[in-house]
Amino acid sequence: MHIFEGFLPSPWWQLWFVFSIPIIFFGMYRLNKLVSEKRELLPLLAVAGAFIFVLSSLKMPSVTGSSSHPTGTGMAAILFGPAVTAVLSTIVLLYQAIFIAHGGLTTLGANVASMGIIGPVFAYVIYKAGMKANINFYVVVFLATAFADWATYVVTATQLALAFPAEVGGVAASLKAFLLIFATTQVPLAIMEGALTALIFKYVIQVKSDALVELKVITESALNKIKGAGQ
Amino acid sequence: MTNILDDYALVSPLRYRNNWLKIAIVMFGVLVGVSSQSFIPPFAIALCMSFATVHFGKTSFKFYLTLLSAPAVFVLLSVVIIAFFFGSGNELLGFDIFSYHLGVNTGGLEMALLVFSRTLGGMSCLFFLSLTTPMVELFSVLKATRLPDSFIEISMMMYRYIFVFLEVAWGIKYAQTVRLGYKDWRTSLTSLAMLSTTLFIRSWEQGEKIFISMSARCYDGKLIFFEEKRPIRANELVLTCTYFAVVLALWYLTRFYSIF
Repeated sequence: MHIFEGFLPSPWWQLWFVFSIPIIFFGMYRLNKLVSEKRELLPLLAVAGAFIFVLSSLKMPSVTGSSSHPTGTGMAAILFGPAVTAVLSTIVLLYQAIFIAHGGLTTLGANVASMGIIGPVFAYVIYKAGMKANINFYVVVFLATAFADWATYVVTATQLALAFPAEVGGVAASLKAFLLIFATTQVPLAIMEGALTALIFKYVIQVKSDALVELKVITESALNKIKGAGQ
Repeated sequence: MTNILDDYALVSPLRYRNNWLKIAIVMFGVLVGVSSQSFIPPFAIALCMSFATVHFGKTSFKFYLTLLSAPAVFVLLSVVIIAFFFGSGNELLGFDIFSYHLGVNTGGLEMALLVFSRTLGGMSCLFFLSLTTPMVELFSVLKATRLPDSFIEISMMMYRYIFVFLEVAWGIKYAQTVRLGYKDWRTSLTSLAMLSTTLFIRSWEQGEKIFISMSARCYDGKLIFFEEKRPIRANELVLTCTYFAVVLALWYLTRFYSIF
């Protein structure tokens, strides 16, 4: 969920930049190292970023009728890990701000924090934990993406609530208001995106499972197990 | 699907103006807008930037209005929340829902108006940039930032591939739609998953291919572009300085101004 340009007042947008920038730089450092070791990764990461952009510009069928778009960052986190995802989503968010005027420049820090860092970290942790616990692969993917979306939504609501605390009840009261109102679109959206991502992974495993092994998303033995179960 | 504003920027007459000047104008508007304490400067910025986009940039006014209404849902929802929960002062409007009192007071209304105007001002600055400056022109600016090369390379290649994949996605989506792939909720979900998968596989294969083809052309991790030099003209400079002066004066004069 994008916060639009000019929405966050003065101390807050700078603070979110302070939060995001070190993490983005850490991501860039990791990226630099990855690319200098394996140069063929560079074009691959570029097309992955373009894929996230295009995925996030597709309209999803929605229950409530409002238009909703997948964020794609949960999927990116599963595929590339959170550090690289932070960098890719920074570029994607910058392009979204400039191409389709979604988001903004001063709110870029806050948007990267919610969509590029905290959401993907949730997705990644849930995915790793779920795979270790030997839960069904598709269920894990569903949970990871859905919770990444919910984490993003809670963080965005928190960012807004911190910037605009209610007169009565302070941050907690306005957080409740923002959470309640955005829940109408965000709760079904996360479930949809989880289902969509699980379906995407199902098709990818059917058609091009070696890509997933190469990205170390899944081990060979786990892949064989999923394929065996499907047949 | 989404309008890619880059298409409009490519044909804009303002495309051939100095990039740094345009970025300075946009950054100025964004920063003054976000730091202003009254709703007047952001509205003035919005007015000036919209005028510049529509008049100098030759964007159709109708199209510009539809663009501005895009973020409306998010902004209006949030502004309403702020109006009800924020601020103190005399109550202007109030009602009870389920024995829970909701009211708008002067402080809240003023804050809501301020946030609304800031968003409007900021969005019009962003639209000015996106409707007059294609991304290709901004790469030289990006290169001057001294961010790591790999980051800049990835952004440039990503930009190129966004259009390739958008075209693929559109094609598939049309093909699916005429075959009733989006007739109801369930089929839409399956169709969308198929579309995304094809896109993922396509991008993966494209990534492998492009590495081979670029290596064959001696790619060493740095793409080099031709940069045109575009000096700032005197009249542009004068106009920009007048704009800066007017907005700064407004900002200074309205520091302590409040409507209530």
